[in-house]
Amino acid sequence: MVNVMAKGITKIYKSRRKEVVALDNVNIDIHSGESFGILGPSGAGKTTFMRIIAGLDIPTQGELYFNDELVATSNKLVVPPEDRNIGMVFQTWALYPNMTAYDNIAFPLRSLRMSKDEERKRINEVSEILGIAHVLNHYPRELSGGQQQRVALARALVKNPSILLLDEPFSNLDARIRDSARALVRRIQNELKITTITVSHDPADIFSIAERAGVIVHGKLVQVDKPSAIYSSPVTVEVARLIGDLVELNGRVEESNNKIYAVVDDFTFPINKVAANNVRLGIRLEDLKISDEVSLGDEWVFVGRARVKVSSYSSGLFRVTVVPPSNDNTEIVVMVDRPFDVGREVNLFVKSGKVLVFP
Amino acid sequence: MSSKPGRVNPTVKAAIHQLVIIIFVVIWLIPIYAMVINGLKSNVAVYTTPVLIPPSSPTIEPFQAVWSSLSRPLLNSLILVLPVAFIATFLGSMAAYFFYMLSNSFSRVSSFVSNFLFSLISLATFIPYQATLIPLTKLIADMGLLNTYWGLAFAFFIFYMPTGALLMSIFITAIPPRIIEAARLDRGSDWRIFYKLVFPLSLPGFISTLIFNIIETWNNFFIPLMLTTTPNMRLIPVTVQSFTGGYATLYNETFAAAFIASMVPLGIFIFLGRYFIRGLIALGTGGKGV
Ligand SMILES: Nc1ncnc2c1ncn2[C@@H]1O[C@H](COP(=O)(O)OP(=O)(O)OP(=O)(O)O)[C@@H](O)[C@H]1O
Ligand SMILES: [Mg+2]
Repeated sequence: MVNVMAKGITKIYKSRRKEVVALDNVNIDIHSGESFGILGPSGAGKTTFMRIIAGLDIPTQGELYFNDELVATSNKLVVPPEDRNIGMVFQTWALYPNMTAYDNIAFPLRSLRMSKDEERKRINEVSEILGIAHVLNHYPRELSGGQQQRVALARALVKNPSILLLDEPFSNLDARIRDSARALVRRIQNELKITTITVSHDPADIFSIAERAGVIVHGKLVQVDKPSAIYSSPVTVEVARLIGDLVELNGRVEESNNKIYAVVDDFTFPINKVAANNVRLGIRLEDLKISDEVSLGDEWVFVGRARVKVSSYSSGLFRVTVVPPSNDNTEIVVMVDRPFDVGREVNLFVKSGKVLVFP
Repeated sequence: MSSKPGRVNPTVKAAIHQLVIIIFVVIWLIPIYAMVINGLKSNVAVYTTPVLIPPSSPTIEPFQAVWSSLSRPLLNSLILVLPVAFIATFLGSMAAYFFYMLSNSFSRVSSFVSNFLFSLISLATFIPYQATLIPLTKLIADMGLLNTYWGLAFAFFIFYMPTGALLMSIFITAIPPRIIEAARLDRGSDWRIFYKLVFPLSLPGFISTLIFNIIETWNNFFIPLMLTTTPNMRLIPVTVQSFTGGYATLYNETFAAAFIASMVPLGIFIFLGRYFIRGLIALGTGGKGV
């Protein structure tokens, strides 16, 4: 039960000639027992942030508090990593290569000096849940990537940490195990109320385990909110892209009949008033529809006639690319529940109020 | 298969590699070969046959002749060199780990102290040890340790523990740092991290360093020369040296003595050589070879 608060955390790596600003004035209050997600493109500073929380790195500026206790400040480690009770799954797992999976998981417990029986009980329990009970006497090099990742997860969980840091913890698991691993982390986190911070490239991870998420871009924390709120109202196109698939278009702002539209070739998208002549539009795939009908009810707004350019299929849905008749390069992807023949014309609709507008 | 221009046929390439290796091996083996065959020559033959030609009637007399004067120094060297080299290398590894932790501690003072001490140590290992022998001898004499195992051990420690620390620090930095960080998060004490992770993971490096230290200590001539005077305390290099020089040098006996003296380092290298190589490979792959 630890609350993690970062105040103005900045991290600058200086190498011989240039400086890299890995974190730029990050302010965040992660509540005690909360499951927090961190999303961001590669090189944004996600791992750096985790390392500073773990105490493996120090901020160049700013302060870090656990439960209002100062643990790190400008260039100074106040509480060393071994006293922070942190369970961490490293992006590279960092298993002890000279020890079996069992001894890897037992390593943190031996530091706690518990009885051998208790130790065995805990290890069996966690490895049963993670499905690694049968590989406990294997060495890391004898394990698959997914198994190594689960051993790393077991090693982090077994010591009942007060903070759990997961750096891309599911990246090497196949889809089925990934779902159960997510469920497991969520369950343990829920039951034990461990403050958990999960870094991921994959929005699915964030949706499935984070109550709140922060988006880091170029070292800046640009948005903090519920994952669904970030999804539906991202602050920038980049954030929008990170948290889900998106059709992006450039539009010209026009007004007619007291309504504002963004015009893209033959299409007109209804938008709210903006103070710009040209805008960037983002539309989630599920907010677009094509149909032969002329109207789909109040919820859907007609955008224009479109021609089917490509038609393909993925997991239960047909993925259709349509273009405006006058411009073959303005491609819009629509997910539909039945196939459409290439070359034919259809009506394109957008869900009202769902067009994201970025300057 | 058409061979592209500028690319050497793999067979030719392999043959060239083999040839180069053979040349090196031969160069390396010539002295050993010369020691053995000349040690097997009689007093007359050693003067009348060329150095690289084996004797027509080999005899083990030279070996027998030198054995009586070599057995005690050989024993002294064994008693002294193996434990001293081992302990020096082990303490050196611990020192290397200590410096590693110190320089990663984020404290400016600690990193400074670490870098300073480490530079000092490196400097110390680069100074020719002969230059420091006079004050060292005086120190040992003042401590009343001349002509003792302890005096010799102390002197060897002074020179070879820093060498151990220096070499081991290279091997330790080859361990992926995340592993040590993970162990710190798992609350491993410094000692536990050292003997459960750092030591086993740098074992090939440790053995390389150990071999290096054994050979250096074994062959060290000046330290025992200065610190011992009684025949009973003599070490092997000094004794071997006593067979050369003077008017009536018996070359066959010199060769025999040299061969006996080099058997121990040679044997160690042959037995542990693959670890030596493995240590070097571990360095090249950044510790991934573990
Ligand atoms: N020890 C270091 N020395 C110098 N630069 C560093 C160091 N560690 C990280 N950086 C730089 O800081 C920036 C942020 O790195 P970080 O590892 O935090 O990114 P990330 O968001 O975790 O990326 P990824 O998703 O690829 O893991 C990068 O530009 C990286 O090159
Ligand atoms: Mg990272």
